[in-house]
Amino acid sequence: MTLARTIEVVVRLSREGVIGNYAIAGAVAALNYIEPTFTEDLDILISVEAFENRQSGLLLLGPIEAGLARMGYTRRSDVGYEIEGWPVQFLPVASPLDEEALAQAVEIDLGDGITRARCLRAEHIVAIALKVGRPKDFARIESFLEHSAVDLRALNGVLERHNLMASWRAWCLKAGRKDALADERRT
Amino acid sequence: MNGGHKDYPDNSGIHARKAAGRRQRAALTFAEKLAALDALRARAAPIVRARKARERSRPPG
Repeated sequence: MTLARTIEVVVRLSREGVIGNYAIAGAVAALNYIEPTFTEDLDILISVEAFENRQSGLLLLGPIEAGLARMGYTRRSDVGYEIEGWPVQFLPVASPLDEEALAQAVEIDLGDGITRARCLRAEHIVAIALKVGRPKDFARIESFLEHSAVDLRALNGVLERHNLMASWRAWCLKAGRKDALADERRT
Repeated sequence: MNGGHKDYPDNSGIHARKAAGRRQRAALTFAEKLAALDALRARAAPIVRARKARERSRPPG
């Protein structure tokens, strides 16, 4: 039971058409760019088409639940579906930022030279962290900047497109950081 | 005391080594980092279990 095996199951769900387009998000996606930090679950961003859409607007996880059950994964806890020992949270795209992040996700190698999984780009992870705005999200942004793990020009574009520039400036002020994007805005 | 002046140790070397450790961990492959997370989670499991037990035993409201 390892996180790599958990991700392999998500890749299978996608190959079998159960979840369609997906991308690893949250702390595990950040792992691709910065040092590992503790997390208790795996977040998977998926398009709303993967959900059963009720007329009431309620999104149900029926198709995913059925797909997982076919593979033998039937346990569910308050933090998500248990797959290979890790809780997995399937998050529907909930904003234009999520939509762009999912569409532009990159493929990464799981280490076996065979399995490739989709993962959010660094600039989208930072923008989403800024938008969510919990202390741990701000710490994640700090880490991306410390490791120069984000393309500042690309980040500037994402923040401008999704009206997050005011949040960025507020975060810089709070963190006592020089605005790393100031030069990008001038050019 | 040294005439009101106190000598504090210089911690910059410690901070530099810590930063180097963070850079090394950030440079691991994705697969290596996944394995590190598995290990981290296993080590933190008793703490997480204790926290959940505390939450369960807390009176509602």
